[in-house]
Amino acid sequence: MPKSLFIDPNGIRKSGYITFKDIPVNQYNKTIEEEKSNYSKEDFLRIFRDMAIIREFETMINAIKTTGQYNGIEYNHPGPAHLSIGQEAAVVGQAYLLDENDFIFGSHRSHGEVISKGLSAIEKMSDERLLDIMKNFEGGKILKVVEGKQKNNGNVKELAIDFLLYGFLAENFARETGVNRGLGGSMHMFFTPFGIYPNNAIVGGSADIGVGAALYKKINKKKGIVIVNIGDGALGCGPVWEAICLATMGQYKKLWEGEYRGGLPLIFNFYNNQYGMGGQTSGETMGFDMLARVGAGVNPEQMHAERIDGYNPLAVIDAIRRKKKILEEKNGPVLLDTITYRFTGHSPSDASSYRTKEEIDAWMEHDSLVTYRRQLVEAKVATDDEFDAILADVKELITKICRLATDDTVSPRMDLVKDPDAIGRLMFSNQKIEKMDDRECEVLMPKEENPRVQQIKKKARFGLDENGKPVPKNRVYQLRDAIFEAIIDKFYTDPTLIAYGEENRDWGGAFAVYRGLTEALPYHRLFNTSISEGAIVGSAVGYALCGGRVIAEIMYCDFIGRAGDEIFNQLSKWQAMSAGILKMPVVVRVSVGSKYGAQHSQDWSSLVTHIPGLKVVFPATPYDAKGLMNSALAGTDPVIFFESQRIYDVGELFHKGGVPEGYYEVPIGEPDIKKEGKDITILTVGATLYRALEAAKILEEKYGLSAEIIDARSLVPFNYEKVLESVKKTGKIVLASDACERGSFLKEVAQTITETAFDYLDAPPVVVGSRNWITPAHELETFFFPQPEWIIDAIHEKIMPLKGHVPVSNFTVNEQLRRNKMGV
Amino acid sequence: MAVPVIMPKQGQSVESCIITKWHKKKGDRVKAGDLLFTYETDKATFDEEAKVDGVILEIFFEEDEDVPVLTNVCVIGEEGEDYSEFDPRGPQKPTQSAEDTTSKEAQETISVESSSGINLNKTQESAVQDIQPGERIKISPRARNYAEKIGIDYRYATSTGPHGRIIERDIIALQEKGPVFTFAAKDVAMEYQTGIPTEGTGLGGRIRIEDLKKEAEVPVTQQSAEAASSVAAPVHTAAKLPEEHEPEYVEVKLTNIRKVIAKSMHQSLANSAQLTLHTTFDATEILNFRKKIKENKDKLGLQNITINDIILYAVSRTLLNHKYLNAHFLDDKIKLFNVVHLGVAVDTERGLMVPTIMYANKKSLNEISAEVKALVSECQKGTINPDLLKSGTFTVTNLGMLDIESFTPVINPPQTGILGVNNVVQRVREVNGQYEYYPAMGLSLTFDHRAIDGAPAARFLKELKENLENFTLLLTK
Repeated sequence: MPKSLFIDPNGIRKSGYITFKDIPVNQYNKTIEEEKSNYSKEDFLRIFRDMAIIREFETMINAIKTTGQYNGIEYNHPGPAHLSIGQEAAVVGQAYLLDENDFIFGSHRSHGEVISKGLSAIEKMSDERLLDIMKNFEGGKILKVVEGKQKNNGNVKELAIDFLLYGFLAENFARETGVNRGLGGSMHMFFTPFGIYPNNAIVGGSADIGVGAALYKKINKKKGIVIVNIGDGALGCGPVWEAICLATMGQYKKLWEGEYRGGLPLIFNFYNNQYGMGGQTSGETMGFDMLARVGAGVNPEQMHAERIDGYNPLAVIDAIRRKKKILEEKNGPVLLDTITYRFTGHSPSDASSYRTKEEIDAWMEHDSLVTYRRQLVEAKVATDDEFDAILADVKELITKICRLATDDTVSPRMDLVKDPDAIGRLMFSNQKIEKMDDRECEVLMPKEENPRVQQIKKKARFGLDENGKPVPKNRVYQLRDAIFEAIIDKFYTDPTLIAYGEENRDWGGAFAVYRGLTEALPYHRLFNTSISEGAIVGSAVGYALCGGRVIAEIMYCDFIGRAGDEIFNQLSKWQAMSAGILKMPVVVRVSVGSKYGAQHSQDWSSLVTHIPGLKVVFPATPYDAKGLMNSALAGTDPVIFFESQRIYDVGELFHKGGVPEGYYEVPIGEPDIKKEGKDITILTVGATLYRALEAAKILEEKYGLSAEIIDARSLVPFNYEKVLESVKKTGKIVLASDACERGSFLKEVAQTITETAFDYLDAPPVVVGSRNWITPAHELETFFFPQPEWIIDAIHEKIMPLKGHVPVSNFTVNEQLRRNKMGV
Repeated sequence: MAVPVIMPKQGQSVESCIITKWHKKKGDRVKAGDLLFTYETDKATFDEEAKVDGVILEIFFEEDEDVPVLTNVCVIGEEGEDYSEFDPRGPQKPTQSAEDTTSKEAQETISVESSSGINLNKTQESAVQDIQPGERIKISPRARNYAEKIGIDYRYATSTGPHGRIIERDIIALQEKGPVFTFAAKDVAMEYQTGIPTEGTGLGGRIRIEDLKKEAEVPVTQQSAEAASSVAAPVHTAAKLPEEHEPEYVEVKLTNIRKVIAKSMHQSLANSAQLTLHTTFDATEILNFRKKIKENKDKLGLQNITINDIILYAVSRTLLNHKYLNAHFLDDKIKLFNVVHLGVAVDTERGLMVPTIMYANKKSLNEISAEVKALVSECQKGTINPDLLKSGTFTVTNLGMLDIESFTPVINPPQTGILGVNNVVQRVREVNGQYEYYPAMGLSLTFDHRAIDGAPAARFLKELKENLENFTLLLTK
């Protein structure tokens, strides 16, 4: 929506044609002889060696999975094994030119990618650097296992290869000595010191994460490119399309300023092995015929799309060399359709019923380990004996690694008996890092000159005047000001902080929280995105795990569904799956609506609380909103930050002295007593706080009961101390939130209270939530969302009958059972 | 849809009503406006009409049952409909016959546990805890712990929580107000400082007279010991006396007759609705009559007929016109006697005794006089035939000689009335503009309001008064 881009009706309405450039298909046609000037004999042979290592690594796992032994080593591996036998040339070719600064992200079938990338990085790194990495990684734990077991003692590269292969295989076998202490496993192996970033068991899951990594490189001016390696089947996944859209937004080349102008340093590389599990993408499950065609429709550059021959490592190296140049010229991103073929099934349990033996045999005749070797022998680069020696060495190497990785004494598993909390400790990093990088923050003006900052200065920071009367809305410091204040503060502190989402720039966010930020920040720190909630969150994951801090906004809470995988599987998991190596300083802002019907009014806080690994907060007052946002932005964990559209304009009514101008934090996980009382406790989440206050007033005036009101503020984590203390005092508790009553997080809280304070309870804790319906129109919302009277009714019916009370809602047991029977 | 009919609440203080008559029975089809049942409060009788058309699916309380107000009494609906949710007796128990005593108990105790009853709970101020022996008492953990902490027996608590649950406030109320009795039992229990039973069998675990009676059968001293050592004893019985060197009291064992009197009087006051009417009559005629007898008794061979004998005679001749006072009230029925067995209260050294003049209505004044003298003598000697001590249909007690001007005699159950005879005082009345003195003798009639209402009782007194004022006319009848 930038005013600088004029949408000219004359241009838009002009007739004409869209023309396409040709998309190259397997255009590489050099001979070994021609390539001899580019590669030494060692280079040629190292390419073969790397392919052979991958082949043997995968063959070993296949043997263990299918026969229970490899080369005399017996082992049972119940975990996954998505093997890439047949795809070696493509991955070795891709990795050949990449170094530690180039990041790759992979899929479930990425053993080959990570090994080839690791081998390539080792080749390019100095011995000192390699030793430094090995000694410091997990306190040298992996190094200790492999040290001193090399043929040529003192050869650091040989040691590093052992380190790499052992680290990955131990990870495969869920050993604590694996690269991620066995918490990632086969489909999630990575090793960031070598530029190997997470593989992903969700098909296409890496696409939007990779976009975030590319954004990180671009915005923070980091060296290197990013390659997202996903399969041809992944092109059918919505988030992959969203990732492509987000990565090709016109603004990078049109609106971003100065050195930031230009495309992302990103390659979407599709390892096109012709199958998505058993679905044949060309001809059966997709319509592209050739995958590279898709790039043509995305942007005028056609994403520089190209099909390359993944069965020739030299063709792939050639392509990467050319594409890398495009990226360095800021003309990315690039789409590559790297054809390949796997001889093994999708997994060892795959009987390949969807393809013929003839097809497999035909591809085996093209096997790169055979044809590449033959070409080299024919070109007299090396003799068959030399190749046989390489293969023998590789077999010896893989046998050694396999023996170590299956040995329980040197490769123990995580001891959850001795240390029952070992995984629990990894769910959150719980660090406080003020800034993720130490450099100047790029801003457009001093903070004090910002028009919004100046406007807020004039506002009353406490919601009541000296006579106790509410300050008029437009004069009071509102909850949206509080969020803004925390965020703009961080933009002037942490240079890596970026914020994006739909309507963030110019508009100032759909609910005017970001008003004033546009003036303060250059494009690359605050921008609008395609309507791609999945990719918005997914890219935030990628940005954060590379080392940046990010606020992703997905507008309505209801759109969490659109970002389901990214929130539930990516944002929440990577800290623990990396065994604490990755940090996830991401704040996802979601806004709970009302008035807008069934798909714009839902409080889905309960959904995210169910997912381990997410922190969930829902402030209801300006003081808490600023303090919790400050905490969220200072931490290193993913925080789902719930806001409510009902209360963006509330002033601070509780914190004496109003919302402080300076920096302060409200700790995540600490509920707050908003009103003291002695007869009954009411715990609220979000905007229900204000309805509970009304209920408390009725209880006080009509029934002589004094209610204690506790605002949960955070849902995960949650410190029960104050709540239990209160319940022990009152013996009674009602829990209220706008979430639908069935499966509400408050049911969990109620259950925990029952378990921990049973002997103090005078009645079961009662949850008052929204009805298990669609949200009706605004005019009918009082029948859907909890009302103050409902709280009274619940008390009357389930906790203590109130003299003379006539309920307006039905909280009887029979009604409860009837509704459940109906499923409503 | 089945609709429950509740026992209406007639006035703020009314807690329960007695169904005096069912005009319909289970299975009857009724129309809105049809008379369903008649019920009584302590003050008045009311009719309850059907508010909807339908079939009476179930009747939860029989005639003469005391039903807490706002409790479901019956259900009207269509045949085959499930009405179990309205059953105030809780989840459906096996069908019970009305004669079955356990079923009767079950019906007396009310639980709203299974009541869906939003309509019931809406206005209900206190649900009633069903604590039939052996049944689970619903109590919140907090209430239970608090009761234990302050050493109070929560079974005495009146539950006000949802679904009959005892909650904290009920324990606090119990702590502040003590155990819950029926109104009648509470008064009795006040006199019995010891021996509050641990089990109440009344509504909501209320302690009934019956429960107290059971306790009373145990010798008092033993009871006291038990009460003192019983952990479960309610707090107020555990109150400690200051330690003194000089005993403050002497414990005297009750004689058997004292026990009988105590029990009987207790039962009388506790189980019936007694009230007393006072009147006086002009005793001129009977005093003159007695004077004449006294002067001529030897000549005529008559007894020394006393004023009391004259009153006994007059009562015996008046009663049969007021049969509800010459009756036995037996809870669910009343026996109206066609003869008068007149009890005469006799003060003896052992205590009060009430021998009976059998068939007094058939005996002459002289016979009555003679018989009274014999009975009094036997009582004082202790040789009285026990049968003669319990067969009365009405009793006359006289404290006039002790200068009592009026009193409230206690009915000797299951009789429905007792006449107290007072002394004679000089009263003034106006006759033709002149004040004149006359001897006025007091009569105090206590009657059981359960059996007879105030006006008919007063009519008996009026007729008695007329008969005494015109005694010679009565004699001639």
